[in-house]
Amino acid sequence: MAPGEILGIVGESGSGKSITCMSILRLLKSNGRIVGGQALFDGQDLMGLDENAMSDLRGNDIGMIFQDPMTSLNPTLSVGEQVIETILRHRPISRAEARKRTIELFELVRIPSAAQRIQSFPHEFSGGMRQRVMIAMALSCDPKLLIADEPTTALDVTIQRQILLLLKQLQTQLGMAVILITHDLGVIAEVTDRIVVMYGGMVMEQGSVAELFARPRHPYTQGLLGSVPDLRDGEHKRLTPIAGTPPDMSQPPAGCPFAPRCVHAMNQCDNAIPPLYEMADAVDQIARCWLHHPEAPRIAGINVTAEEVA
Amino acid sequence: MAGYVLQRLGQMLLTLLAIATLTFFLMHAIPGGPFVSERMLAPEIASALNDKFGLSDPIWLQYLNYLRGIVTFDLGPSFRYPGVTVNQMIADGLPVTLRTGLLAVICVVALGVPMGIVAALNRNKWPDTAVMMLATIGVAIPSYVIATLLLYVFALRLGWVPTFGLDDWRGYILPVLALSGFWVSFVARLARSSLLETFEQDYMTTARAKGLRPGQVLFKHGLRNSLIPVVTVLGPVVANLVTGSFVIEQIFALPGIGRHFVLSITNRDYTAIMGITIFYAALLMVMILIVDLLYVWLDPRIKLQKAAQ
Repeated sequence: MAPGEILGIVGESGSGKSITCMSILRLLKSNGRIVGGQALFDGQDLMGLDENAMSDLRGNDIGMIFQDPMTSLNPTLSVGEQVIETILRHRPISRAEARKRTIELFELVRIPSAAQRIQSFPHEFSGGMRQRVMIAMALSCDPKLLIADEPTTALDVTIQRQILLLLKQLQTQLGMAVILITHDLGVIAEVTDRIVVMYGGMVMEQGSVAELFARPRHPYTQGLLGSVPDLRDGEHKRLTPIAGTPPDMSQPPAGCPFAPRCVHAMNQCDNAIPPLYEMADAVDQIARCWLHHPEAPRIAGINVTAEEVA
Repeated sequence: MAGYVLQRLGQMLLTLLAIATLTFFLMHAIPGGPFVSERMLAPEIASALNDKFGLSDPIWLQYLNYLRGIVTFDLGPSFRYPGVTVNQMIADGLPVTLRTGLLAVICVVALGVPMGIVAALNRNKWPDTAVMMLATIGVAIPSYVIATLLLYVFALRLGWVPTFGLDDWRGYILPVLALSGFWVSFVARLARSSLLETFEQDYMTTARAKGLRPGQVLFKHGLRNSLIPVVTVLGPVVANLVTGSFVIEQIFALPGIGRHFVLSITNRDYTAIMGITIFYAALLMVMILIVDLLYVWLDPRIKLQKAAQ
C-alpha cells in the first residue's frame, strides 16, 4: 500500500477479510494461528517481530477500528480513559496532556461537547458515537495505517454514511493509509482507490476502483457486482445472487475455492489453485482465474479483450 | 447514594423483623423446651423456672417481650447457661470466630483469585490442570475431612502446629485452611471461567489492538469485568465464614460462636437460637448491601437508583 491510499477489501462473509487484517496485527483469537507468510510494514516483516515490538506498533503505527462498536469498548471504563490510556502507552507525555489531546480527538471526530463527554461511559453513547470514539482511539497516535474492519456494518443506514464520510475526510486531512474491509460495494466505490476482492482466504482479483468496476475479470467479482441492486434501472430486473455458499476453509479445496459455484468452471479449476494473472490491457489489475491462462477458452466479458471484440 | 443506603437499611429492618418472627414461632413449634430433659425436674421447679423466664405467658406476649428486647439490643439471658446473657455469648465467641473467619476470607481472595488467573492464563496447560485438580478436590472433599487430614499430617506427624487452641499464630493456620479450603477452590474455578469468558470479549481485542501491555490488558480490562461474579459470591461467603463453623470449631476446639448455632437448637435455648439467628441474618444482609455497593464501583452500567425501584 502507498501512504495515503485507501484500499478496499470486499468479499462475502467468511471469505477471510477480517482474518487477514487480524493476522496483520497478530490479534487472532486463541483458536487461530499463523502458519506462514509475510506482512511487510515499512520494510519490516510483522510476522517476525517479537511480541513487545508488535505491541509498540499496535495502536501507534497501525490503528484499528472494529465492526461492532457496541462490544468493542470496555463497559467499565470511561470513553475518555480508553483513549487516554492508548496515548499514554505510546507517547511520553503527562496525563493532563493526554487528556487534552483526547478532547481534541473527540472534536476531530465530531463528538459534541467533547470536554464533558470524555467522562461518559460507553453505555451512555449511541452506536454511531461509540464508533466515533473507536475512530478517535485508532487515530490517537497518528497511525500511518488505519485498518477499518467493517466499521459501518453494525450501524444504522443514516449513521453509516456519516461515519464513512468522516473516515474519508480524516484520511484526506491526516494523510494516512486506510484499509477498509466491507461487503458493501457501494461503500467501496465511493471512498476507495483500489480494491482487493477476497474469497476463500485468497485474493481473487485486485485493481483500481475505476478499472475493476468497469471490467471485472473474475467470475466471482462479476457475481458480486451482479448481485448489487441498481436503483437507476427502470426495468426492475431480478437480482442475480451467486448460488451456493463459501467453502469450509478448515478443509480447503484442492483447486480454486470458487469453482463449485462458478458458472465457467472447468476441469482444471478443481485440480489446482490458479495463479494471479496480470491483465495485459489494464494498468494494475490482476485476477486469480484459470480463464486468463493463454490456452483457456475465450469467454466474453472475462478474457476476450476489447480489440478481439472489435 | 446515601438515600439508597438508607432505603436499603429500612428494607433490612423489615426483613429482620420477618426473620425474627418466623424463627420465633418455628422454634416454639418444636416439641420440648429449655427445661425439658431426661432428668425430669420436679413440676414445681419447672413451673417456677417457666414463670421466671416468662415461658408460661401466652405466646404472643412472649413474642412482644422478645421484640422489645431486640429493639434495645438486649437478646436476653441464655436458658441453658445460668447467669450468661446471649449478648455475652456472642461477645465472648465472636472475636475468635471473627479472627479465623476474616483470615479465611483473606485466604479466599488472596489464593482463590490468583489461582483462577494463573489457570485462565495457562488454559489447558499444566498450571491450569494443577489448579483445577486442586480446586476440584477442595470443592469435593468436606471441610472436616480436610481438617482431619491436615491435623494428622501437620500437627500429629510433623508437629509443626498445635493440634488445638489458638495460643499463638501457628494455631490459626490449620483452622483457617480447613475453613477456607472449599471457598478458595470455588472462587478459583469461578474466577477462571469468568476470566476465560472475558478474554473472548471484543473489548479485550480492542485493548490488545491499542498496543497495551499484557499486564494492562489483564488487570485493567480483563480482571475488573470478570470480578463481578466473584464479588457476588464473596458477600455471602464473608457472612458465612465470619460466623464460624460448628464442625471446624469442634475439631480444633476453638471457643467461637459457630458451635452455638447447633448447640442452642438441641438445647432449645430459645434466646440463644433467636439471638444468633438474628445476628447471622443481619451480618448477611450487611454483606449483601456491601456487595451491591461494590457492583456500582466495578460496573458503571449498574445504577443504584434503578436498582432501588
